[in-house]
Amino acid sequence: MAKVIVVTSGKGGVGKTTTSASFASGLALRGFKTVVIDFDVGLRNLDLIMGCERRVVYDLINTVNGEATLNQALIKDKHCSNLFVLPASQTRDKDALTEAGVEKVLKDLIEMGFDYIICDSPAGIERGAVMALTFADEAIIVTNPEISSVRDSDRILGIIQAKSRRAQDGFEPVKEHLLVTRYSPKRVVDGEMLSYEDVQEILRIPLLGIIPESESVLHASNQGNPAIHLDGTDVSEAYKDVVSRFLGEEVPLRFSAYDKPSFFKRLLGGK
Amino acid sequence: MAVTAIIQDADLDLLEKYLAEAAGPDKDFFANDFTVIDVGNLPPDRVIADWPALVSLFKAYRLNPVSVRYAPPTMEEAILASGLGLDIIARQPKIPAPVAPTIVAPPIPAQPTPPTAPDPMIIDTPVRSGQRIYAHNSDLIVTAIVNAGAEIIADGNIHVYAPLRGRALAGASGNAAARIFASSMEAELVSIAGIYSMFETAPTTAMKGRPTQVRLVGNTLDIRVIGADS
Repeated sequence: MAKVIVVTSGKGGVGKTTTSASFASGLALRGFKTVVIDFDVGLRNLDLIMGCERRVVYDLINTVNGEATLNQALIKDKHCSNLFVLPASQTRDKDALTEAGVEKVLKDLIEMGFDYIICDSPAGIERGAVMALTFADEAIIVTNPEISSVRDSDRILGIIQAKSRRAQDGFEPVKEHLLVTRYSPKRVVDGEMLSYEDVQEILRIPLLGIIPESESVLHASNQGNPAIHLDGTDVSEAYKDVVSRFLGEEVPLRFSAYDKPSFFKRLLGGK
Repeated sequence: MAVTAIIQDADLDLLEKYLAEAAGPDKDFFANDFTVIDVGNLPPDRVIADWPALVSLFKAYRLNPVSVRYAPPTMEEAILASGLGLDIIARQPKIPAPVAPTIVAPPIPAQPTPPTAPDPMIIDTPVRSGQRIYAHNSDLIVTAIVNAGAEIIADGNIHVYAPLRGRALAGASGNAAARIFASSMEAELVSIAGIYSMFETAPTTAMKGRPTQVRLVGNTLDIRVIGADS
């Protein structure tokens, strides 16, 4: 049975699109037929991160309005043959998203045999964000370890409880996962950053993973390459752990503790 | 929460007007409350014909109709066809059918019913930033965290068996005897019967992690750790 997963946060710039791209790629690498949808109508970033911006012809709004079929609008990923991107429209705004239209697109995708449908939510709590979460079965709440991001995540969790179709129809509630991104164990030790335990104490939802702060994310984004493909980096490993945990595997939590660099490491100029 | 909608007229336009008035500008005023539709006051000659339209009208105002109370048998089929239930506990019409006045029984004095306190509202999930919960005419019991930016309001007492970090307003309709209890008091604001206190400079360090109660003494709020000096 297909699952609709929304990646959301409330606050902007915390790593929703980075997470959507890497998480969707990770599921596809595991062999699942996956589609990732950019709900940030009017801004359109996901296609850049996925490196397919030059192949966008039709977009989400075209399919919502019935101006293009899904087969025309879906863009096949350059890394994984079972991963597809449904880009946002840059020329329209979020009022172009209708609930009935979004529902139809998701239903059609489910009929096409997708295992996972990842909805990359825009920031904020307005129409675009609400449309992205309305039909979700599960939600990944992307949070930075700082207080305003946590507050906004709390707010979006409340909106999921109130406005998701599952809540409105009285079904089992949306399954919530916490993903703490841009985590720097050193700054936690120095008291400059909330620890992931602090974040969890406030939000009180299960932790799906921790993504360490890393320059390689920026580098990968600029090259249109989801960070999970940067083999050997912490970020790539962390996202692979997240996918494993999401699929129900037991994986120890990594990148959460600060190892003080040893004397020799510093002497040798290691990081 | 559940509400009862007492229908006075079969005119849907009129009903919509009342709903719009009740909901005010806040589109989510009714937060998908379960709704019992009471047709006991409907004049016998007025019949609601279009139940699906009535249901969708309620849904448009975020009310979730579940059953119909005091429905005459003639309406039952249409009600069940529209997916609503019948409230069988209250099946008898409120106004008994006129019977032949043969014997006029002396009026039986109404049995004094034992006073029953309204059931408290109980919330078991975290109350999150931006959410507002109002326990109308009753106590409010929350067994999960109340986060900063959330607002919990009750006409009676408020109990929070987890950290209280949002705003809590007890005795909202003027009950000065209402109290607030929290197992860890970290609130932004507490209020009883309109008298409020804010914690701008977090005087809560002494109360953090400890059970605390708030009550109104005269015109000031008495906030203290439970069991500290008793």
